[in-house]
Amino acid sequence: MGNVFTKNKFLPYILIVPAFVLICVFKLYPIVTTLLEGFFVKGEFTLDTYNTVFQDPVFWNSLWITIKINIVMIPLQIVISFILAMMVNLTVRGIAIFRTIFYLPFTISLTVATILWNMMFNANNGILNSFLSVFGIPAQKFLLSSSQALWCIVIIASWKGCGYWMMFILAGLKNIDTSIYESAKMDGAGFFTTVFKITIPLIKRVLLFVCVANTTANVLLFVPMQLLTNGGPEGSTNVLMYEAYQSAFSYGNRSRSAVMVTVLLILIILICLVQFKFLNEKEEGRA
Amino acid sequence: MKKFLALTLVAALAATAATGCGKSDGNNASGAGGDSGEKVELVWLSQGVGEDAWEGITAPILDKYNENGKVTVKGEFYSFNDLFDVIEVKIASGSKDYDVISVDSPMVASYANRGMLAPLDEYFSDEEKAEFAEAGLEAGIWDGKLYAPPENTSTQVLWYNTALLEEAGITVPENDTTNRLTWEQVAEMATQAKQKLDPDGTQGIYGIEWQQVSRVYQMNALPNSMGGLNIGEDGFTVEGVINDDAWVKACTWYQDLVNAKVVPQGITADETGDYFYSGKIVFYQGGTWTANNCDAKGMTTYAFCPSPAFEGYEDKVATATGSWQFGVNAASTHIDESAEFVKWFTLGEGNDMWLEANGDVPSRIEKLDEIINDPDAPGYLKIGAEEAKTTAFPRALTPGFNEYQTILGNAWEDIRNGSDVKTSLDSAAKQITDSMAQYK
Repeated sequence: MGNVFTKNKFLPYILIVPAFVLICVFKLYPIVTTLLEGFFVKGEFTLDTYNTVFQDPVFWNSLWITIKINIVMIPLQIVISFILAMMVNLTVRGIAIFRTIFYLPFTISLTVATILWNMMFNANNGILNSFLSVFGIPAQKFLLSSSQALWCIVIIASWKGCGYWMMFILAGLKNIDTSIYESAKMDGAGFFTTVFKITIPLIKRVLLFVCVANTTANVLLFVPMQLLTNGGPEGSTNVLMYEAYQSAFSYGNRSRSAVMVTVLLILIILICLVQFKFLNEKEEGRA
Repeated sequence: MKKFLALTLVAALAATAATGCGKSDGNNASGAGGDSGEKVELVWLSQGVGEDAWEGITAPILDKYNENGKVTVKGEFYSFNDLFDVIEVKIASGSKDYDVISVDSPMVASYANRGMLAPLDEYFSDEEKAEFAEAGLEAGIWDGKLYAPPENTSTQVLWYNTALLEEAGITVPENDTTNRLTWEQVAEMATQAKQKLDPDGTQGIYGIEWQQVSRVYQMNALPNSMGGLNIGEDGFTVEGVINDDAWVKACTWYQDLVNAKVVPQGITADETGDYFYSGKIVFYQGGTWTANNCDAKGMTTYAFCPSPAFEGYEDKVATATGSWQFGVNAASTHIDESAEFVKWFTLGEGNDMWLEANGDVPSRIEKLDEIINDPDAPGYLKIGAEEAKTTAFPRALTPGFNEYQTILGNAWEDIRNGSDVKTSLDSAAKQITDSMAQYK
């Protein structure tokens, strides 16, 4: 039997065919179809959809909001996740309990989490306003305010996501040889020197994965906007993903939606390229 | 052995591919052999999830229809908002999964224009079409063809909580359709009630709420009642229409009430009913079906009166109207059977059962006359029937209604949340104008 699997040179290819077919059908095919769909209206090739979308202030507003929320949310989540990972990496009795607590939000469905946060953010009778009133702070509008709604969504997404990213970073931290820290300590390195000169460089690969995966997840974030704000108030949470959804499923304008999804795809690629440039280890530096 | 293993793998792969990528044969799961006399199960795509909503209300009606045994109908219900998305995703892509569709009346033009609905003229004779009130029938016609006969129509009544008003020491003045309350009077009573019942806002009691808050169906009646229109005559123009003086004035009046906390913020259209039924709303502008909902929820301290007028605009009272139509999916493999079901539910016994169960205003002339002439008919239905004939103001008739209602609905929500009225309306007009370009 062993001979069959080692000597048949086609066998590896045959074995990867199912995965390859599934990737083609469920990943590559939809991407290619979407790219093409933006160039066709009623079966005819045209650049009109791109032209219309690029002249549409709603599109530019959505693009700006997508960039704005991610400029804040991606670094914020990574920093928080890193700090949490550092904390739960401590060898203290009962630290596993904290690790579980921090990870717990990720196990809740985003839909359920969003609905729960909606209750807390409720401007009329939410617990957050009750809490603020204890300190004499007037009731806030939260999701009803065009200046606060986006940041409420950042809080929801970060509460939900940080524990998840923390686990990856924690796995990276666990791989660092403790003797390196001991040597650094003996050489007089302080906390921040250790973090920036030893910890971060040694988990660069993990951080790169977290950055790329986090970017993809956040740029495509959609559920809170759909469930809580419908892109409002005043379009302040109308991210590109939500506008693309509206175009396809509410307005029946698939080519407009395809153009927006294409822009999102390009945006994600660009952000990931930047992250690769800054975080990827140099080839010559590796064995 | 090697050949055997290789063949086994190839066979397994082929089976996987065939299972995973297999294409449906086009028949819905249950609809085998519609033309061969075998049993047919139709699927009706509709809105209103839950026992208190359409899902529960229509269950006995479907049971009645299904007694025939040959053609049965299964309902599949979604929330109001989700229904539009499901139609866009499934029906617009030519899916055969659904046979009969509940169509919101202003959407008929859009769906018919895109070939999503089957024309039903051959199933409805001229005599049968004449049984419908003109407004309901017209709403189901596009390009001269009948695509969606009406299930019922709708009108609005001002409901109020008599217990709250009594507690606040307020008496609603005598009124009728010839001597209506004014919105200004209602606002004054609501403000007084709010001040007496919940001065510090801790009880969560509000003066006025609209049943379908932030939806164009009901909210547009405010500017309409000041002479504002919903759309230009061409079915596309909104610039200078939805941002004219009447709209700005009506929306400002509404926003002032929100700012005074007489009208609540942050409550969705799906939630307003529960607030009224649980005694948290004093005045509640809602459809005639509200009475049935109150009864079902055990609320007994309610009364009703005709929709108010704005002072100085007594001759321009407008009430929201239009309701649900029945369409048949153009891609259905059972169009004949579907059309028969639609006829039964719009003109036959199914419609009688529906009107009785849901308390809607009929779209059949015979049933409207029955209500008007019946001394024992509920008062709110009599008001509704009269409003349907006199003040009912149709929604915008445009193939771009989806965009229209989404964008303008967001503008209503923004205005409720404190955005500048004129800016919000101007922005909505611009967005709708841009989105209409694709239909011209």
